[in-house]
Amino acid sequence: MRRRELQSRVVITGLGMVTALGLNVDETWQALIAGKSGIAAVTRFDASELPVRIGGEVKGFDPAGYMDRKEVRRTPRCAHLALAAATEAMADAGLGNTVPDPDRSGVVMGVANGGVEAGFEGWETLKAHGPRRIPPFMLTAMLPNMPAFHLGQRFQCRGFNSTVTTACASGTQAIGEAAEAIRRGAADLMLAGGAESMISLCFYVSLSVLRVLTTDNEHPERAMKPFDARRDGFACAEGAAVMVLERLDRALERGARIYGEVLGYAANTDAHHFAIPDPVGAGAARCMKWAIENAGIAPGEVDYINAHGPATEVGDRTETTAIKALFGEHAYRVPVSSTKSMIGHASGAAGAIEAVVCVKTMDEAVIHPTINYEVPDPDCDLDYVPNVARRADVDIVLSNSFGLGGQNACLVMAKY
Amino acid sequence: MRQRKLEERVVITGMGAVTPLGLNVDETWRALVAGKSGITRITQFDPSDLPIQIAGEVKGFDPTDYVDFKEARRMARTSHLSLAAAAQAMADAGLGDQVPDGERAGVVMGTGVGGFDVAIEAWDTFRTKGLRKVSPFSATALLANMPAHHISLRYQCQAYNSTVVTACASGTQAIGEAAEVIRRGGADLMLAGGIEALIHPILIAAFTIMRVLAADNDHPETAVKPFDARRDGFASSEGSAVMVLERLDRAIDRGARIHAEVIGFAANTDAYHVAIPDPEGMGAIRCMRWAIENAGISPNEVHYINAHGPGTEVGDPIETRAIKAIFGERAYQIPVSSTKSMIGHALGGAGAIEAMACARTITEGIIHPTINYQVPDPDCDLDYVPNVAREADVAVTLSNSFGLGGQNACLLLGRYEE
Repeated sequence: MRRRELQSRVVITGLGMVTALGLNVDETWQALIAGKSGIAAVTRFDASELPVRIGGEVKGFDPAGYMDRKEVRRTPRCAHLALAAATEAMADAGLGNTVPDPDRSGVVMGVANGGVEAGFEGWETLKAHGPRRIPPFMLTAMLPNMPAFHLGQRFQCRGFNSTVTTACASGTQAIGEAAEAIRRGAADLMLAGGAESMISLCFYVSLSVLRVLTTDNEHPERAMKPFDARRDGFACAEGAAVMVLERLDRALERGARIYGEVLGYAANTDAHHFAIPDPVGAGAARCMKWAIENAGIAPGEVDYINAHGPATEVGDRTETTAIKALFGEHAYRVPVSSTKSMIGHASGAAGAIEAVVCVKTMDEAVIHPTINYEVPDPDCDLDYVPNVARRADVDIVLSNSFGLGGQNACLVMAKY
Repeated sequence: MRQRKLEERVVITGMGAVTPLGLNVDETWRALVAGKSGITRITQFDPSDLPIQIAGEVKGFDPTDYVDFKEARRMARTSHLSLAAAAQAMADAGLGDQVPDGERAGVVMGTGVGGFDVAIEAWDTFRTKGLRKVSPFSATALLANMPAHHISLRYQCQAYNSTVVTACASGTQAIGEAAEVIRRGGADLMLAGGIEALIHPILIAAFTIMRVLAADNDHPETAVKPFDARRDGFASSEGSAVMVLERLDRAIDRGARIHAEVIGFAANTDAYHVAIPDPEGMGAIRCMRWAIENAGISPNEVHYINAHGPGTEVGDPIETRAIKAIFGERAYQIPVSSTKSMIGHALGGAGAIEAMACARTITEGIIHPTINYQVPDPDCDLDYVPNVAREADVAVTLSNSFGLGGQNACLLLGRYEE
């Protein structure tokens, strides 16, 4: 493991998430280890004219628990979800509503799209009623930096603030960048994660056209089948996850409970094609390799891989190839599982949700399964922890996120 | 100045820009120095039904100068303009189509919104003709990371890749974060910059409702009046600038010409209001101070400030107060000018275009003016370099970008000295 000085070591001291499986970390985690699916028929909009009518919606969530009703209407759903996850993470870190030093506290959120649907609604209003009827908060609602804004404002994190928009890699990259902000001395505490809400007509149109979504509308719970020979795409999901990251010495000073450490991180691009991953997974393999090098460990020390595992025909095969290229024989001994098999693909939030899941894996010594795994595919021949959770001592985890535009981000975390 | 090791010093070795004032850096810079406005009546669509009918459009740009026709059709204008700026920057750096080491070269672009114009077309196609007529290219055009993707694909920059989306601060922050990636060893060379290309009724209408646009449709060239008492908003514009940033030792090894050095950077948030800047400018003050501290210099060493200077009623006096809070009495001796007075506000592209202007200020020894400045405002009482460019020996520049969501980013460039 790389020897870092105390002030460049970054630890995880709080966790929060809102997903298709639950409104907090515990609910989500319990459902994940029980192998439950959060995918169901879409209720947030009328999907009847589309080929895809299922998704991973967050159920029973009331944003009014986190901001007043007037503000709720002006704010995109991804920001509501982000605020809920951050509130949980702050409480979990023992901080409540205040950070120890606002000027030394920052926010990095990963968001692939943000509240763009407000823009399409505004466009329809403009065409029907003219420019003067556009809601005054339409533009700000569209901006992907809204989750990071609301976190900064609510908890008065006045330090470094950024939003990373690297498609499906955003959430993972945001956590990595937040750790780097602490390492370079720009902050002592960061709220970092991802947020996305793409359960709306405009995104379903785009994703349907790209043919990346599973169309098994009749069996939503079984629709996502990562690494299975019958896989036919992902279910679009929404959610948010936020971590409290702290400089190790500061966390020790305030007696914080430490879940784990952000050990290594890398982000890169395939430089191949806007929608199709490099078929030999060269970009993904480089990204994993660089993250492991950044952590200062050997590939053989990785105990668990949280796969990108989107259940697309090409994506799962490419990721498997890349894991084998990097890990050699060890690839067959490392458990690899797909959180998306249960939660669906929450785009910019996915990597952040999966990072929280990785921390829970180390903390609880349980690896959640890849569900709906029945028919092996010769191209996907690793140990995907099929269908049933498994007890295991996990000291070091690798979390992969690979996305549109060839965006890759990998995060290595370890027990403290 | 902070003593950094060679491998942590980041220099600018190439620049490219496409703006309402020109299709490259030279054209843009000459027009800036001449005090020309790039704001005109909107031509990209018929603006007659909108209350505001002016904007800063990039004129005479042909994407097929940079991208083949078939490929160009599959991209949003955000990617066209970015690829043009990147191609110019690569050529200016003496690199042509090839980075020295693909695995050590990366990209960070800043953008506010992404290819929303193409997404709206796709939406209308879906509404009128059905799903089958929507193309997969338009379905992905919305993604803000497409310009960074296309640049990395073109030049095979296989290392670090990111897109920073912090509203009007995006372009400045992208350059700052790219420099940090080099400093932390994540790459030796970065293409970094900003882009926005959304001259569209929906954006004009949205800004109009927010009451932030200059309203003088009859006199577009004099409509944007930063720091003037008559100011009434900015002009929405489009454009891109991209820089080649290199680790100093690598740049020296290959004998690159060095424009300037990235010496300091900070980004933060007001943590105040989604659309209104902190009236005391506290976030802006902190951001400038941290960037100056990051550069390891004293405020006295800053010779020029490229203001955010959007020309809004609220924004300009707050920036003025913030500058005075940092620089004290010396604030009155530092030239402060607004590139936006001529180019308009290119949102995610603005900060990168302004960083290019700062680098040129250092190498040319000329400060471009703030144009349309006639009626002084007691709340804006600094030296805004009114209307006429000025010769000056400038070794250190500070560029400010403050945006929606309280996003602030500040970048310091320095004259390169061994």
